[in-house]
Amino acid sequence: MSHQKKLIGAFIVGALLLAACGGSSSDGGDAAVGGGLSATDEGIKDGGTLFILDHSTGATNLDPQRIYTGADLGFLGSTITRTLTSYTPIAGKKGTELIADLATDTGTPSEDVKTWNFTLRDGVTFEDGAAIVCDDIRYGVSRTFASEMTGDEGPLYAKSMLDVAGEYPGPYTATADQQAAFEKAVECSEDGKTITFHLKNPVADFNYTVALLSFAPVPKAKDTADKYTLKPVSSGPFMVQSYEEGKELVMVRNPNWNQDSDPVRKPHLDEIRWQFGLEESVIDERMIADAGDDQMTIVYGTIQPENLQTVFEDPKFADRRTDGFDGFVSYTMINIKKVPCLEVRQAFWLALDREALRTAAGGPYTGVFADSFINPLLAVDYTPGTVTEGLNVDGTPNVEAAQAKMDAAKVSCPEVHKYATEQGLRFDHGQSDLWAKLISIWIDSLGAVGIKIIDNAIEPSKYYATINQDPGDLMRAGWAADWNNASTVVPELFTKEGGFNYSQNWEDPAYAAFSEQVNLAKGETDRVKQAKLWQETNQYVLDQAWAVPGSFTKAQNLVGSRVRNAYQWLPFGWYNVGAIGLAE
Amino acid sequence: MLSFVCRRLFFAVILLFVVSAFTYVIFAALPSDPAALTCGKNCRPEVIAQNRVRLGYDKSIPEQYGNFLKGIVSGRTYGAGEGVHCPAPSLGYSFRKHQCVTDLITRTLPVTASVALGAFVLWMLIGIGLGTMAALKRGRWPDRLATGFSVIGISLPTFFIGLLGIMVFVIWTGLLPFPRYEGITADPAKWFMSLILPWFTLAVVSASSYIRLTRNGILEVMNEEFVRLGLAKGLKRRTLIVKYVMRAALLPIVTIAGLDFAALLGGAVITESVFSLPGMGKLSIMAVNDSDLSILVATTLVAATFIVIANALVDILYGFLDPRVRTY
Amino acid sequence: MNSKVPLLSIRDLQVSFNTREGLVRAVDGISFDVEHGESIGIVGESGSGKSVMVNAILRLNFATEVIVKGEILFDGVDLLKLSEAEMTRIRGREIAMIFQDPLSALNPFYTVGHQIGEAYLVHHPDASKSEVNRIVLNALDKVGIPEAAKRIKSYPHEFSGGMRQRIVIAIALVNDPKLLIADEPTTALDVTVQAQILDLIQSLREQSDSAVILITHDLGVVAETAQRVMVMYAGRAAESSTVTSLFEAPSHPYTQGLMRSVHSLENSSRGSLKSILGVPPSLINLPGGCAFRPRCSHQLGDQSKCNTDKPELRLVGKSNVACHLPDEIIKSNSVSDV
Repeated sequence: MSHQKKLIGAFIVGALLLAACGGSSSDGGDAAVGGGLSATDEGIKDGGTLFILDHSTGATNLDPQRIYTGADLGFLGSTITRTLTSYTPIAGKKGTELIADLATDTGTPSEDVKTWNFTLRDGVTFEDGAAIVCDDIRYGVSRTFASEMTGDEGPLYAKSMLDVAGEYPGPYTATADQQAAFEKAVECSEDGKTITFHLKNPVADFNYTVALLSFAPVPKAKDTADKYTLKPVSSGPFMVQSYEEGKELVMVRNPNWNQDSDPVRKPHLDEIRWQFGLEESVIDERMIADAGDDQMTIVYGTIQPENLQTVFEDPKFADRRTDGFDGFVSYTMINIKKVPCLEVRQAFWLALDREALRTAAGGPYTGVFADSFINPLLAVDYTPGTVTEGLNVDGTPNVEAAQAKMDAAKVSCPEVHKYATEQGLRFDHGQSDLWAKLISIWIDSLGAVGIKIIDNAIEPSKYYATINQDPGDLMRAGWAADWNNASTVVPELFTKEGGFNYSQNWEDPAYAAFSEQVNLAKGETDRVKQAKLWQETNQYVLDQAWAVPGSFTKAQNLVGSRVRNAYQWLPFGWYNVGAIGLAE
Repeated sequence: MLSFVCRRLFFAVILLFVVSAFTYVIFAALPSDPAALTCGKNCRPEVIAQNRVRLGYDKSIPEQYGNFLKGIVSGRTYGAGEGVHCPAPSLGYSFRKHQCVTDLITRTLPVTASVALGAFVLWMLIGIGLGTMAALKRGRWPDRLATGFSVIGISLPTFFIGLLGIMVFVIWTGLLPFPRYEGITADPAKWFMSLILPWFTLAVVSASSYIRLTRNGILEVMNEEFVRLGLAKGLKRRTLIVKYVMRAALLPIVTIAGLDFAALLGGAVITESVFSLPGMGKLSIMAVNDSDLSILVATTLVAATFIVIANALVDILYGFLDPRVRTY
Repeated sequence: MNSKVPLLSIRDLQVSFNTREGLVRAVDGISFDVEHGESIGIVGESGSGKSVMVNAILRLNFATEVIVKGEILFDGVDLLKLSEAEMTRIRGREIAMIFQDPLSALNPFYTVGHQIGEAYLVHHPDASKSEVNRIVLNALDKVGIPEAAKRIKSYPHEFSGGMRQRIVIAIALVNDPKLLIADEPTTALDVTVQAQILDLIQSLREQSDSAVILITHDLGVVAETAQRVMVMYAGRAAESSTVTSLFEAPSHPYTQGLMRSVHSLENSSRGSLKSILGVPPSLINLPGGCAFRPRCSHQLGDQSKCNTDKPELRLVGKSNVACHLPDEIIKSNSVSDV
């Protein structure tokens, strides 16, 4: 997560919260979504130890209910945590296809898509050999409700979607009645083989939702609440042997996992050692040197900017380097309540010197200019958006076009024009060294068309809380999808019900039509039709300029020379770590 | 002498209380809200409010401090439902690390102590050895060598020396494996190997000032009248240097060394970072990054405790070593 | 001992050391003799080279590099040619020394008993513990430390300055040395204590038959204790004679100046100190000729020998004087000016 934190500081400015929602670093399996390593079992000799080098001092979390970011979801999902459904373990777009994991199929919805049924496979067990039953999954899901304990960091879809009557505070403090109410929303069959989820509203892609680790099984008897994250019980091919914060996480093979029951995972390694707390410059030097054990090493994090040239200009790294989208899009929210004037919002977009901002942040390696809020990694949903007319594709400002918009605004919405040019727009962003530099580009480029910017740097850890209570006129943020469906993008960011909508766009008369369209998309079970609807709603936001996209951010990486099959697993934006093998 | 020791120890205990109260109040006075840090990114205001009550952060600061002290004496339970119990002496519970702070400290302290102890021995040997050599061969090449060494050590940052060590001995020549800390009880050989570079890095940096201190101290004492009297008595040069010069010259170094060592026990922040040693310094850095007050209070307190104890010990030791300090 | 050979005979002693600013000639060609049992005073301002000279005798240049030339014959043996090991046998046993500042001359970390005993033990390594103890008690007794047995285990800081100087003297005399060098032994002490210490040195000298070299800047001290006196200026001897003749007829213009400053000190209750004009010369790169020339009240002109030649000691009347002035002028001055 610290890497995401860094990214936020550098480019996507948002809160921890925003950073924690989706994809992470590195390469793409498709040529279309960035260079990466090929997916192949060729040359792999089973066994051996894979090392993961990490600057951060520990794993974000090992507790499935507390996991949110793509890399962590993918890592734990491929090693120790199984879910009802999962994604096809393959490079490229096909990797975003849902397949059954603990369940026998990808789930059966009711007619109204408000009830979903999953049947558990035979022979699925925890690391202690105990069979995984419906109760374990139900108990796991219930832990996400304990917001002061295990529900503090993971996604809240269970909470917002499940039809639980009354308040449910999670399993630790619930009364018998509250617990009964929850167990009515998540039903288990007599034989413990079938689990039924009752939802408040229709959710067409709920079977994607249950692929999140927050729907993973936890054996109640082994739950240690807050401390479960230190020693979770495995259901996958690996299990945690030891974990010491600041030092090392060691995973070994789980003897009670059997290949026949698992269509998703095909492990080659005997052992995975995740080593924490390394200096970033040391990690880079070791990866570049590629000596000894470092040949069997991958990195959680990205190459330092100062080493990018070395790695990308020397052909000897061609087989080991990766460069791809990390799943995030950076964008600027505009407070519609304060800036209810399309022309001013468009003028803002046209005048902003995005090229200067990118250069200051590190140039093209940091990302490409975005034309949508839906990331290209969401291969089904993404299509290039149509941006405001006159916007320069090279990211440079179009002062003329912007000035024309401002002139028009003077007539159409003089109040807003006056507000933007005289009082000035308050711009909220996370505080960082980089932003101290970037802010002057904002002030200068927008000042060219008379828009005044009032700098409001907020301490990163308090960013979300601050703008939640007191949104500025402009707010910087970043977002990545929670699963491969723009249902975790467009509604989350731009509907009133969404978790991260600070634009207050429901004040806009144009909102009603948008909202209707989104609801339509949410209930659409035909994935292709649904994608079409997401593209339309996304374009609607661009047209209304409720928010302005910045960049699809990228990350670069190196792997050791003996590492094989380190393809990018698109749903998670990182390697399918559990599938990595080592060459002799 | 006994009363001097007792008085000094009593004073140290008082000082510990003052330091702990002071530390606690300072951190309590910080504008960050410890309750807001207990529930990650899904914190809603009502959850924060619940946690504030549950963790006692709604109480007055003196009351919180009282509870904190109580926790040290008799342990404490934190969190919701059955919560998590930390047995005495409990220095708090970290909701970021999901562990009792005391456990975190007892796990990281041996690492820091390993680093500190080895580095201390090394740097005292290097510092006093080279310093003495420089003083005795003043103006000649050993002096220049030692002074040059000390200039390098003082002017290069620890971080740089550490990285250089890794580059040269690990990455370029492969003479040493990349240091991964292993407990001394688990694997003494690995423990030793993993600490060679950190020890030398710290020793080079710290020895520099000790070279100067020793050299200047010896030269100063050599000019003392009592040394000339010793010579005039007919004492041999060697006797004179050991019995007269070194004893007097090293006495002030005892004080500084004691405090330096204690400060190091509080965490060798940079060295631990460079060599990714999971010690107290690293723990503190993590806590700062996470705004984890529960850990920061504890590490600060532990570090301060070491300094206070070292101060008292040095004073007492001084009493034994220097008759002028003793008070009867 | 052969009574024809002086106990100590210093021949053309030169002591100099290199500094960044240049060569410092602290002692620039001094010769004198000390007979057995004799007491000689060496007088001069600070910086005149007298302390450097006596340190050179015992080769106490411990911390600094010095260049010593000439001869220091002790009982006919040139100390400058001895090895360091041979020299340690001379120090403290044959020649002992008392230092200026008793507060810093004693090692603060050891008891006074230990320090006195150490001085004895180093030259009597086979001495038994009880013997050493007896010697130490005796020494403390001799120098007038009351309740010696009790104070044997005390540390230097528990004594007053005067008492500490007595202990230093005890250390010096514990081996009955043939020569005692006292380097400004009373300068750092209170006036009342000064006399006691001088009396002590005097009476101890009379009891034993040690010769004494007393270094001082105070002519009064010399008058009380010494038989012969040598006045030093800028590393050279300015005048050498018996105490009686020096006080009766100071011959060198510098000696005369010193005399006047003593008298004026005694005579004037406050203020105007009638002393020698000017300041002692820097010893770095001294110009040729008489070092006292710039401060001399007799100016013989630019062409005189004062500008070119260093004056050597020669007998004028009852004193040996190093001055280019004609004998008559020296003689007449010595009478009229005082």
